[in-house]
Amino acid sequence: MNRIRVVLGDDHNLVRQGIRALLGLSHICVVGEAKDGRELVRQVKELTPEVALIDISLPLLNGIEAARKISHVAPKTRVIFLTMYQDRGYVTQAQEVGAWGYVLKEEAPEQLITTIETVANGRHCFPSELAGETVRIEGKKLGPREREVLQLIAEGKKNKDIARIMIRSLHTVRNHRAHIMRKLGVHTAAELVQAANEMGLVRLEALGDKS
Amino acid sequence: MKQIRVAIADDHTLVRVGLARLLSSYPAIKVVGTAKDGAAAIELAKDKQPAVFLLDMAMPQLNGLAAIPYVKAVSPDTHILVLSMYDEAEYVQAALEKGAAGLVSKTISADDLYAAIVSVAQGKCLSAEKPLTAREREVVALLADGKTNDQIGSSLGISTKTVGHHCQRAMEKLDIHTRAGLVAYAVRIGLNRKN
Repeated sequence: MNRIRVVLGDDHNLVRQGIRALLGLSHICVVGEAKDGRELVRQVKELTPEVALIDISLPLLNGIEAARKISHVAPKTRVIFLTMYQDRGYVTQAQEVGAWGYVLKEEAPEQLITTIETVANGRHCFPSELAGETVRIEGKKLGPREREVLQLIAEGKKNKDIARIMIRSLHTVRNHRAHIMRKLGVHTAAELVQAANEMGLVRLEALGDKS
Repeated sequence: MKQIRVAIADDHTLVRVGLARLLSSYPAIKVVGTAKDGAAAIELAKDKQPAVFLLDMAMPQLNGLAAIPYVKAVSPDTHILVLSMYDEAEYVQAALEKGAAGLVSKTISADDLYAAIVSVAQGKCLSAEKPLTAREREVVALLADGKTNDQIGSSLGISTKTVGHHCQRAMEKLDIHTRAGLVAYAVRIGLNRKN
């Protein structure tokens, strides 16, 4: 069987190295790694792997928005999300941006390998328990650029950093910010962060929420 | 050479198995077992008495922090290293107070994790950074609830200027540069939930 080339996007170095070690024994080859969504898009554009394996919560540009960009810059690369979230909202978003697969981090390594193989062979692979009716996503009223800006605001970036990261002028960033606040009807930093969290642009889970 | 006996608890199988495989590639480490939740971690500690236990912070049943005293109770010589998605000083402090030897973020490399394991196996603790004062925590919590500096000042009975001062200090300590960043921090560590 031919080797399957994969680029891996996850902000946790230990997780990336672990996944790489797990795939090392198969015919799947990790050809690139990225720790944030923007680096990921650059890597995928340059390396055009068969598969991009992407964590949904990535800094600077989350996995969903990164996948949207990948569909433009590397249309042949098939996206699989690798996530801890059993969340129908995310599954819906994943399908909307054209993802081919969705793997939970609680799955066994064999399941990850099967999903990558299935997708590389041109078939979609979503967990059956998360399939079904789609979920309405809040925050549709923001455009992609505005969502990018909102994520960066919620990550604590200053306007001038946002401008640098997005390669836009400070003026444009300020305009986006004003539009976001008007469209969402919010006024404070706290409300902006909350909105970003509700839209899934960032994940702010307090300690112990899972127990 | 005497190997360091290491156990790993993480609810995400891909992460748990990946970590075990990664650490097994270091000749000085022997992975003696893995567990998928806090309760299983305690059983494993009792059974294997590992030198070092890597406990994921966010696990079902019993999270990593809550499991620390139980693991210490059944295996007093085990040094505990908490693994976390975040490495905020608040968490590091909480882990140390519970009896862990340290907390490391999953953003570090395998080599750094290896170095941390060797270090705690020798009985060393990984130190905490400066945590926020009680007053700074209150101010940040109210900020995250959407209050203005004026409102925070009147509810705490301090001047608006002092509120600004506390925010500034908190931001410096945490290396955060915007109010939105401070809010996100507060939500993440659960400060805004009235504790």
